[in-house]
Amino acid sequence: MLPATAAALAVLAALLAWPVPALLARARWPRRDPLVALVCWQAIGLAGGLSIIGALLVHGLAPWGHSLPEAAWSVLTRQPAEAPVRGDHWVTLTLAGVLATELVGVLLLSWVRTARARRRHRALLELVVQPASLPDARLLEHPAPVAFCIPGARPLLVLSSGMVAELDDAQLAAVVAHERAHLREHHHLYLLPFVAWEAALPVLPAAARAHAAVRALVEMRADDVALGSLPGPAPRRALAQAIVVAAGGAGGAGVPSGALAVTGSAVASRVVRLLEPPSPLPGWTRGAALLSAGLLLLVPTALLLLPALELPLSR
Amino acid sequence: MASLGELERAVMDRLWSAGGPLAATELRDGLADRGLALTTVHTVLSRLEQKGFVVHDDARPRRFRARGTREDHAAELMHEVLGQAGDRQAVLARFVGGVDPDEARLLRELLARATGPDGVPG
Repeated sequence: MLPATAAALAVLAALLAWPVPALLARARWPRRDPLVALVCWQAIGLAGGLSIIGALLVHGLAPWGHSLPEAAWSVLTRQPAEAPVRGDHWVTLTLAGVLATELVGVLLLSWVRTARARRRHRALLELVVQPASLPDARLLEHPAPVAFCIPGARPLLVLSSGMVAELDDAQLAAVVAHERAHLREHHHLYLLPFVAWEAALPVLPAAARAHAAVRALVEMRADDVALGSLPGPAPRRALAQAIVVAAGGAGGAGVPSGALAVTGSAVASRVVRLLEPPSPLPGWTRGAALLSAGLLLLVPTALLLLPALELPLSR
Repeated sequence: MASLGELERAVMDRLWSAGGPLAATELRDGLADRGLALTTVHTVLSRLEQKGFVVHDDARPRRFRARGTREDHAAELMHEVLGQAGDRQAVLARFVGGVDPDEARLLRELLARATGPDGVPG
């Protein structure tokens, strides 16, 4: 029997489904080190999925063995259960299967759909855009100040003519550096699981919160990387100005505001962060955060794979 | 050998800069430096028709023209790529999302405050 392991995993899953993401979303330190915060979010997502599915699996397989590997082996080799198999064992096993299929399925589906949409957008955009003054950027004839990139094997970095018209050279370079940072660090991959899980678990407020937080952090990270490559006298200011111009102009110029409208407050915190940079996280805090992320992944894995802790108790 | 995508671009550039509709032969002659076969031009044109960029009339021979100006298509694409309808996750990151007027004002104030007389920018 594995009741203690299942209970421990269930507690971990509950913590990761609600209080932990709520705390991290509200914490102040992520804006000081977006990259470390992104690692923590990935760990929370992975550990959350692992522990909820693991809890169900461990409970469902309990009649077959004392540890998950042992029980799974018994089932695969069609050995009879050591203890009577009750209804709740079948229910949890079914739930584990459904949840695992849904999470992985939605992830794959989301991947395929976005890849298809990207290909289509890129093909259409490539017909319309023209070379821009900056290398590897393309110009889209439109009065609204907009910049975006489409990631992929052949990424496309698009600036609207409105953006080019409203920004000076230093600001434009800042925008392009920001978008390049997204492409170079493959930020779309950080977002993918959270997009998929928000779609898979619409009832879980943490999924939406995690997605919003990761989206904001990815933007901050791109700002940080961009600053590192900008030569001008005041790169922070140039980038902040560009953000304000792009945000302010989007209202009336016929651009759909649906795209990222919910990130309104995230835009303000980006600007504040650029103008009044917070002190970077001290090394030990970084280390502690990364260590917690590692432990978060290690704990459910260990609970799943190691022989049941309560072996002496059940005998 | 140029890719179809690149040929599509070249044909659209021709159609956009032409005064009126063009026949496929005229397009081939206009792109003579590429040495295209007429069938290739037709292939490219039908792909562009599928994408909604080109329409043809019923004259003989058929003549092709751009469905809208470059700006029309740009505006349409902005809506599709960044709008709510499309698969907006496909665009990784629009540089800045739209914000409401109040927030836009707040942002401008933030910026102005940081440029105060003693404010050292950056």
